[in-house]
Amino acid sequence: MSGAPSGRTVQIARVVRMLDRASDTRSLFLEPANGRPLGFVPGQFISIQIPLPDELRSRAYTVASDPGERDFEVVFNRVPGGRGVEWLFAREPGDEISFVGPFGSFTLDHPPAVETVFLAEGTAIAPIRPILRRASTSAAHPQLTLLYAAVSERNLLYCDEFRELAGRDRGVSLETLVGPTTEVHRWLRVETERRYVLADRERSRQFYICGVGKAVIELRDLLRGAGYERRAVHYEQW
Amino acid sequence: MARLRIQYENGDPERVIEFDPAKAPFHHDGRPGSILDVLLGHNIHLEHACGGNCACTTCHVIVKQGLKTLSEAEENEEDMLDKAPGLTPTSRLGCQAVFEDTNAEITVVIPRFTINQVSEAAEE
Repeated sequence: MSGAPSGRTVQIARVVRMLDRASDTRSLFLEPANGRPLGFVPGQFISIQIPLPDELRSRAYTVASDPGERDFEVVFNRVPGGRGVEWLFAREPGDEISFVGPFGSFTLDHPPAVETVFLAEGTAIAPIRPILRRASTSAAHPQLTLLYAAVSERNLLYCDEFRELAGRDRGVSLETLVGPTTEVHRWLRVETERRYVLADRERSRQFYICGVGKAVIELRDLLRGAGYERRAVHYEQW
Repeated sequence: MARLRIQYENGDPERVIEFDPAKAPFHHDGRPGSILDVLLGHNIHLEHACGGNCACTTCHVIVKQGLKTLSEAEENEEDMLDKAPGLTPTSRLGCQAVFEDTNAEITVVIPRFTINQVSEAAEE
């Protein structure tokens, strides 16, 4: 470990494995050099230091795996002009990565007390995955519903795992959609409105929303505008 | 020209930047013309763990002077600020607060702690 310019502690992790989840999406499995599992709360991210030719750039990547494991996973996809992510795509097993963190407050550390709905698209499932897994650990957890959409079947990440979870736990349900991005956003909005705004007057649920761009804000505004408490609508906009 | 005075709660020496807000962006993180953008573009570090995307509170600053010459805080920023320790009525996220007056004179204080540092410390 060494000191970052800001005084934060820089940690080192080694790439132990990589997995191409879709043509444009990869997971890196990282093992902390100190030999201890990374301490984080489900939903948090780390800030990876990316050495570009002209600067050291920091970019945030959510930890997509569960706390307590020997290695942890970050998942990312190619972005046009994304120099940082191109550097990540070039990493191979044995390479070392510097990072600080974890950070972030889009988290859930205990099984929730109320029905919880998760809304996600594509790689923005990354924080939702460990949150949902943590939320479902209690035998008597309230209903957990995941509405998840992506541009292709392969881009629906971890779906076999979610289906398996929903298959053995009646308290977990999963609905997915595959379609172009505009359809993904429309479906999430329409389904949210149909199920949680128009179908009943129940307003005690909570929501975890993660996605790209203004679609996230539209969902937030839809739910808060319908009477859900501000603090019951958690969101992270990428 | 606008003037940005930076004071540090931990006692580090004060810094002052004079700049033309019309020349924003000065860097690639944070909203163009934001406090974060201005600081980074003048080689003054301000933490921004999420990359300046309003997804954490590490760029929390307290505006001591000139609050009204900054852009108004949007709901995303207010939601995020709710989670910042040491929140004050003039708290802003450096990545979101944009200079809107070309002659603004703004003083900000960089707080000693953030919620994320607490999180990080808990791990160690």
